[in-house]
Amino acid sequence: MKGLVDWLDERAGVRALWAAIADEEIPGGASLRYVFGSVLVFLFMQQVVLGILLAAFYSPSATDAWASTAYLNDQVTAGWFLRGLHHHGSSAMVVVTALHFLQVCLAGAYRKPRELNWLTGLAMAGLVLAFALTGYLLPWDQKGYWATQVATGIMGSVPGGEPIRVLLQGGKEYGNFTLTRFYTLHVFVLPIGLAALLGAHLALFRRHGVTPPELPKAELDRKAQHFFPSQLLWDVIAMTVTSVVLIVLTMKTHGAELFAPAQPASNFVARPEWYFLFLFQLLKYFEGPLQIIATVILPGAATTFLVLLPWIDKAESRKLGPRMPVLAMVGLLMSGVATLTAMALVEDARNTKYQKGVVAAHREAERAREFARAGVLPAGGDAVFLNDPQVQARMLFKEHCANCHTLDGNGGEEAPNLTGYNNREWLRSLIRNPRDKRFFGGTKTHKEMEAYPPDELSDPKLDAVVEYLVSLMGPDAGVVNAALAEQGKKLFADELDCNTCHEVQAGQSGDGPNFAGRGSKAWIQRVLQDASAEDLYGKASAMPKFGKKLTEEERSRLVELIASLRNSKGDG
Amino acid sequence: MAHDDDNKGTKAAPAADASRRDFLKTAGVGGLGLGLAAVVGAPAALYVTYPLNHETVSGGSGFLRVGKSELFPEGAPVKVDVFADKRDAWNRIQQVKIGSAWVLRTGGVLKALSSVCPHLGCAVDYDEGASKFKCPCHNSAFSLDGKVEGGPAPRAMDQLELEEKEGMVAVRYIRFRQGIAEKEVV
Repeated sequence: MKGLVDWLDERAGVRALWAAIADEEIPGGASLRYVFGSVLVFLFMQQVVLGILLAAFYSPSATDAWASTAYLNDQVTAGWFLRGLHHHGSSAMVVVTALHFLQVCLAGAYRKPRELNWLTGLAMAGLVLAFALTGYLLPWDQKGYWATQVATGIMGSVPGGEPIRVLLQGGKEYGNFTLTRFYTLHVFVLPIGLAALLGAHLALFRRHGVTPPELPKAELDRKAQHFFPSQLLWDVIAMTVTSVVLIVLTMKTHGAELFAPAQPASNFVARPEWYFLFLFQLLKYFEGPLQIIATVILPGAATTFLVLLPWIDKAESRKLGPRMPVLAMVGLLMSGVATLTAMALVEDARNTKYQKGVVAAHREAERAREFARAGVLPAGGDAVFLNDPQVQARMLFKEHCANCHTLDGNGGEEAPNLTGYNNREWLRSLIRNPRDKRFFGGTKTHKEMEAYPPDELSDPKLDAVVEYLVSLMGPDAGVVNAALAEQGKKLFADELDCNTCHEVQAGQSGDGPNFAGRGSKAWIQRVLQDASAEDLYGKASAMPKFGKKLTEEERSRLVELIASLRNSKGDG
Repeated sequence: MAHDDDNKGTKAAPAADASRRDFLKTAGVGGLGLGLAAVVGAPAALYVTYPLNHETVSGGSGFLRVGKSELFPEGAPVKVDVFADKRDAWNRIQQVKIGSAWVLRTGGVLKALSSVCPHLGCAVDYDEGASKFKCPCHNSAFSLDGKVEGGPAPRAMDQLELEEKEGMVAVRYIRFRQGIAEKEVV
């Protein structure tokens, strides 16, 4: 080991390099007060590593972004955890930046000769927010899409801002270029910018050292310690605490949220990430032409104040007393931000419409992510809903059934209208007038059944027969009035003689379809397979045999859809 | 401070004390540092190696329909494209072309040969005049039943499993290693 270090030292001067880092003198000794900068460096490095890992599975295009995020989050081992750490890590950076800021303000560390430390620090804080803003869009989910729309919308509403907006989003509207540009900013431009500023910030920091407590020099010297290991231990302890908080947060939230894919035609209740809520709240107070006060003037004034802070503060020493006016202004600024944030949260908590929107958004997200497990069609994002068995069944219906059957207002009239198929109202109307166009009137051959007008079959009796027909569905029938059905059974067999045409014993054929299990999924399956079976609609049936035309999976999708139709409209 | 009170012993003691403290601090830094690295490092190892133990690209492994029986007359090979649904990471791709095959009926029996030349993978053509399969790249020639009749091909054209059911022809499309005498699945 020593040999290796000697070898390296001779060539690269590693001992001197290490000494330059480790032997940094900390006047007054190591302290917990100095940890914030180090924790930020740690968080930044962790974010870089996590970002690289995420990039290994992520694809920045409007068609792939959501699906690849859903894949890495829901399918790749530990993907949710790493993405969660990255997501909460950005919040942690904002929090620790705020703590660092407060510590620097309290210590007066922005004062001469550390003005450049202060300015580079402020610039980095700005970049941290830019990271958050650009990263938020990358999953291309509803929340990121709509929240970022608000941000770029604000940009466009500022005088002279429109060309910047178009440039940033790579066109007049959101699309592939919006993602490639935000991605480029997020993973190349901003990290390089932050690293450069960090280098300058650290070099300046080493030049001026920590800003120690206001104590006599002799005491500071006496208590002085080296960076390594005393201060580094504090730093690492603080990093560990941060890391534990991040892990707990990530586990508790099961990583970062991922909403349904961006749907440009929908309206989503957009909220920015919590650390932008104060700006969001501020916008509520300034409408129309006054909006610029919230978007530019107030944030601009606050930023100018912070930039000029080292020169505004004219107090003679770093002691707190003389600096009270300046600190009070900083305090006012911070409490303003905190108050606005709290107000935004409280208003949302009380806004039932928003809360309902959030619940609906979560439900939709769950569905979309479940469908995404089967793979998303290359059309991307929104196309995940084509995996919905109901949507697929409707598409199959449109392709194979709608030429003859109408459903929800669309389709042909050569076969029964299937809207509300087999619900009590449908059955009642069918018995009253089977030759209506809604039922078998449009068919070429099924016109033998006579109508049963009210004077032949009273409403109560009709209800009983219908209840009996429903009961024939067996377990698929749902709630059945057994007594009524029993009454209907007697009417069916004795008074009305329905059974002269319609058998109810499985397998037997009559002039009309056999009603054993009529309307159940198994029965619908048989009709779909081959409606011309002897015990169903017989040779005269014009319905194609879908047993050969469709796969088993397609048929069962259609069966599910058709069986569900009796529940889709009011079941009289 | 407690530290100052401890300094009353021999001269060696405080130095030893300090170095022991430094050692413990260094150990603390090292231990916690390793822990911090593991927070990301351990899950990252599982995450990055995901493709090693999961099928990220799949599909097209079963029998795939290539056409109706009547498409294949006696004696003349017909080239068919094989389409399959594929999964590629997050995508589900419907009916993508995964390869092609020559299907030939001889004595009523259908046989499918992969159009991938067993030599170096060019697409084998059919020379109607000579009634032979010929590879345009390196002039390998094959008889109608796929046997090598000339050129550098190290083995016969690869036969694919074929199924004829209810008037439909389907083949199981498989790729084989090229350039070797054995038929080995890739």
